[in-house]
Amino acid sequence: MNFAILTENMDLFLEGFKITLISSVIALIASLLLGAFIAVLRIAPYKPLNWFGTAYVEFFRNIPLLVIMLSVYLIFPLKGITAGTIGLIIYTTAFIAEAIRAGILSIPKGQLEAARSSGLTYSQAMRIVILPQAIKIVIPPLGNQFINLVKNSALLAAIAGGDLMYQADLISARTFATMDTYIFVAMFYLVLTIPLSLGVGYLEKRLAKSN
Amino acid sequence: MIVFSQVNKFYGDFQVLKDINLTINKGEVVVVIGPSGSGKSTLLRCINHLESISNGTLTVNEVSVSDKKTDINKLRKEIGMVFQHFHLYPHKTVLQNITLAPMKVLGQSDEEAKKIAMKYLEKVGIAEKANALPSQLSGGQQQRVAIARGLAMNPEIMLFDEPTSALDPEMIGEVLDVMKALAHEGMTMVVVTHEMGFAREVADRIVFMDQGQILEEAIPAEFYAEPKEERAKLFLSRILNH
Repeated sequence: MNFAILTENMDLFLEGFKITLISSVIALIASLLLGAFIAVLRIAPYKPLNWFGTAYVEFFRNIPLLVIMLSVYLIFPLKGITAGTIGLIIYTTAFIAEAIRAGILSIPKGQLEAARSSGLTYSQAMRIVILPQAIKIVIPPLGNQFINLVKNSALLAAIAGGDLMYQADLISARTFATMDTYIFVAMFYLVLTIPLSLGVGYLEKRLAKSN
Repeated sequence: MIVFSQVNKFYGDFQVLKDINLTINKGEVVVVIGPSGSGKSTLLRCINHLESISNGTLTVNEVSVSDKKTDINKLRKEIGMVFQHFHLYPHKTVLQNITLAPMKVLGQSDEEAKKIAMKYLEKVGIAEKANALPSQLSGGQQQRVAIARGLAMNPEIMLFDEPTSALDPEMIGEVLDVMKALAHEGMTMVVVTHEMGFAREVADRIVFMDQGQILEEAIPAEFYAEPKEERAKLFLSRILNH
């Protein structure tokens, strides 16, 4: 291993790391909120909302992420990082919506009935009674989606997103130390994903205890 | 107060409720009995629109329940409901279970809602469990919390859907006692139950259902002494003589 590749290009690696981190965190929060929203649309008691939710999920989870990112990048006058992050949000939302929907459906029907019969609106019942319970069940599959999201952000490189993978492409093209560069970049991804895995595991244990 | 008039309900081709005519007056305790699948629970759940009727009219306080223009959340404020399986919110404490709807629906302050919740918890005899989670309570205690949760909305009507069917035999008494006390205070109650002792003692009227129809309506003394319908006689003989 040529550690000089790492030390000499540390600023580039760190710049890429920062972009990957920012893009992932923004995409994670946004796709969690949007995913919960789409999940509720899919099970709401109004057919047109169901259709919209289903159409969204089936369309965006069944086309490649790269196509979504490129489309956003080419259609809108946005920088690579912005277009890429939006693409990431659109794509991940579809998967998170499915995970959350499964969680909501696993909550006994009586919970919604009890909440509604006390006069709460559908959206109040969802927000206060159903979703907080569903989220516990959904934590493990969400963890998977979050880890995938971080790794999927590597596609930002294709639209000059300035992320870790983009920097690695530049470094390897310049130094020809392809193998070393990508091993180092893998390490940087692990620095992001391993704590995420551990965090999800911790959350799972803590929430299990609180019940 | 609650008026069913020629109400029918279908699940696809299957008719769950047939030509239901029933009037429940203010302060009355009506106990609905009958074999499983006779439509008792469905009848009850139509009153607060957890189920919708297929045709006929159903009014609560002269407001049509099935009318699309009716604000169903407003109507539900007046109707408390207690379920067979309690349906307490497992992620909230006993106190939070009770204060949730008064705060969100009636707009009570946190302090006010807590005060009222404690009053009802004392009434059902488990004030000391206010900060426990539902999972730390016995079935009987959970059902009493569920009753307190319904009462905290200060409803005009309480619906009970087999409130003791999921309980240990030893815990049935404590729940029935709370319900009896409520009946004596003049609450309008509609109760679906298999507890014949409770029905006989507390009900102003017994409604006997079979196959989606009301076969007989009578005061308990008459009904238990001599039901008019053959099906009711058979039903009573089977559940009383075992």
